[in-house]
Amino acid sequence: MPLSDQQRQQFDDLVKKSRVVLFMKGNKHFPQCGFSAQVIGILKETGVPFETVNVLSDPAVRDGIKEYSSWPTIPQLYVDGEFLGGCDIVKEMYAAGDLQKKLGVVEKPVATPTITLDERAAKAIKDADEGNGEHLRLEIDDKFQYELYFGPPQAGDIEVVASGLKVLFDKASAKRADGIRIQWVDTPDGGAFKIENPNEPARVKSLTVTELKTWMDEGKPFEMFDVRGEDERTIAKIDRARALDAAGEKHLLALDKKTPIVFQCHHGMRSKSAAERFLREGFTNVFNLEGGIEAWSQKVDSKVARY
Amino acid sequence: MGTPTEEAMKAAILEKIPDAAVQVGPGSGGGHFTVQVVSPVFEGKSMLESQRLVLGAIAHLMKGDGAPVHAIDSLKTRTTA
Repeated sequence: MPLSDQQRQQFDDLVKKSRVVLFMKGNKHFPQCGFSAQVIGILKETGVPFETVNVLSDPAVRDGIKEYSSWPTIPQLYVDGEFLGGCDIVKEMYAAGDLQKKLGVVEKPVATPTITLDERAAKAIKDADEGNGEHLRLEIDDKFQYELYFGPPQAGDIEVVASGLKVLFDKASAKRADGIRIQWVDTPDGGAFKIENPNEPARVKSLTVTELKTWMDEGKPFEMFDVRGEDERTIAKIDRARALDAAGEKHLLALDKKTPIVFQCHHGMRSKSAAERFLREGFTNVFNLEGGIEAWSQKVDSKVARY
Repeated sequence: MGTPTEEAMKAAILEKIPDAAVQVGPGSGGGHFTVQVVSPVFEGKSMLESQRLVLGAIAHLMKGDGAPVHAIDSLKTRTTA
């Protein structure tokens, strides 16, 4: 449906309500579509202030902006009243530095990160390389989720060589990558890449009962706390776990903040919230025992009673 | 042969750009697709103009809430293969 002059005028005003206006699904804190989220991520990287218009809250805007821009998809980015494009184009412009020019931001050069690839990881990557000219890429998003895959080089890529292998990063990922270590580890489901990244904000890590058993067998130093009450501890307990009662908590709070600390309960839910609480207290190496004592009894030590 | 929706997208693009080599494939989920179009018509056009040409051809398949095409995960326009 063509827009009326009045509607067109409204969009003329809307796209100029700020220097940078993004028509998106959701808002900048809760994007409701992956494409919108990607553009938000890029705009945040550039550091420019921007306004968003949530097309989901008004069907007239949702349909109207598609007509106004002659562009059938959301998100849509406007700078100085000019339509720049959707997600693909914004990504490409950012990678090539054109978006930054348009926005008038001077980008600090991104330092080349230092990364480590262990021997097994390097071998796994070499085995997976089909030799079709694609390169290994590692993307790290703002929530520190990783994607490791083979893909074509892109404008603005930052190239790192480790263990004789070339790894490509886009600029935003490169900023989050300094000091990472990529390993190849064995898991119950076969081999898998494991990425350790010192830039990650501290979060509760999950620990399986078999990993815990290995820690114990190898004599790895760690502390373990059982967050259940005395009633449940009487039925079943793991000897290594100290009760998180008043005395236990006092002991915990006196520990070095980098000490590996494992929290355990019956099924792994209560221990998770306890783990999160101590993360907020500044502990940085906090683990939650997945599945709790129930999983321990089923997979590691059947002598521990189930209830 | 692709799915009926993929074929419809291909036909709509070819109607607009008859000399194009068009590939349409599945994307990340239902209603998501990937599209690659190779044609000399993109010569000298910006990425925005090129994509607009292709998206304009399939806009009718993307209109409304029940549209068969929900999103294009990746749209590549090239002048040569």
